[in-house]
Amino acid sequence: MGAKQTYTQDELIILIREKNQKAFSYLYDNYSQALFGVINGIINDVEESEDVLQKTFFKIWSSFASYDTEKGRLYTWMLNIGRNLAIDSTRSKHEKIKSKIQSTSENVYKFENNLRAEDNNYDAIGLTTLLNELKDEHKSIIDLAYFEGYTQEEISKKLNLPLGTVKTKVRQALLKLRELTKKEFIN
Amino acid sequence: MKINEVISSGLLESYVLGTTKPEETAVVNKLCKEHPELLKEIEAIEESLMNFSARVSTPVNHELKNKIEAHLTFNSEESPVAKIISIKKETDNRLTIYKLGIAASLLLFLTSLMYNVRLNRMYSKVNAELAELNAAKSYMAEQMNIQQASLVTMNMELQILADPKVKTIALKGMNSLDKKSAMVHMNMETYAVYFNASALPATPDEKQYQLWAIVDGKPVDAGIIDMKSTAQVFQKMRSIKGAQAFAVTIEQIGGRPTPTMETMCLLGNV
Repeated sequence: MGAKQTYTQDELIILIREKNQKAFSYLYDNYSQALFGVINGIINDVEESEDVLQKTFFKIWSSFASYDTEKGRLYTWMLNIGRNLAIDSTRSKHEKIKSKIQSTSENVYKFENNLRAEDNNYDAIGLTTLLNELKDEHKSIIDLAYFEGYTQEEISKKLNLPLGTVKTKVRQALLKLRELTKKEFIN
Repeated sequence: MKINEVISSGLLESYVLGTTKPEETAVVNKLCKEHPELLKEIEAIEESLMNFSARVSTPVNHELKNKIEAHLTFNSEESPVAKIISIKKETDNRLTIYKLGIAASLLLFLTSLMYNVRLNRMYSKVNAELAELNAAKSYMAEQMNIQQASLVTMNMELQILADPKVKTIALKGMNSLDKKSAMVHMNMETYAVYFNASALPATPDEKQYQLWAIVDGKPVDAGIIDMKSTAQVFQKMRSIKGAQAFAVTIEQIGGRPTPTMETMCLLGNV
């Protein structure tokens, strides 16, 4: 048995508040790849995404006092920081401020294109299967809700769907995602 | 709201995505504290999202971690809390669970042992009390039977005495039974004879009292008096017709056909 250290979210929070180096290491090892995926999904530029990921961790570390467990999960809070920094970055890069609602980038589709274009050493085949198994409507829901940080009201407006339907579809999409990532994990 | 309804409502997904309203967030936090299965569900949603976004991009450059670490300030001193968390995590989790399990079962065993001992004591005590009560009950039942029997006897004797045809004959003590007395009750119509020996002293072991009726000047055997019977005061003797007097002699066990005149101790005329 590998004696890999695991912390509960509460323990990790205590340690980060104390600026414990082990806690940073743990935080980075467990969350950086997921955050990077979201950031790169928005920016679609590895080098710039790495830059934004760096800024994200600086901000997480420096403003950790403002994180309130009562306001949500630690990952949700970090995701917000990373996503906002990524969105800011694309806006300044293009030097034009687009309203979030009008933005039509479809990140999940971009991944598919990236996968075909690049010959990377990561598990592209498994991921392609995973993406193929997601219905288009689930892809766009995950894209908007997770990568772009749209609220459900915003998704409802954008996709012209009733709010109740959006709620159901978000749940369905994430359930499908859960099923697929679980399958992946077993494989 | 039922937990399954919460899970299927989509609220938890919104919570993880960070799109819940503050009041909804508060509800989820509160429910999580009450129902650990909700937290499990949230963690599963979070894990699938993290898993997904981690996989849709190239792996992060390994150098990046060191670069970030170089810019951060850390607290080199471990606080007591940090130490506790580290120590706790260093011990094998599975071992901890076993230890906890053993401790818990030991505690359970001791508790049940104590409880059993207490229960056993209570049981013995109750059992003893029950035995006592039962003994008291049977004693009372016995007493009641005795009382009942004596009441029946007394009623019978009362009936005998209350009968106007019954005549009471007092026998006066003489010789060895000087100053003693006994009574004979005789029904003048049926000639039934009853002897009341309650005031007589006990005879020696090998002797018995014997009652004689004097009919036409001759003694007629009226029966042996049983001094051991305590159930009744009156002893029914042989019915004798035309008795003029009654006498009692002391005879060998089993009695004799004719009285031993020297041992006559009671005598009374009808």
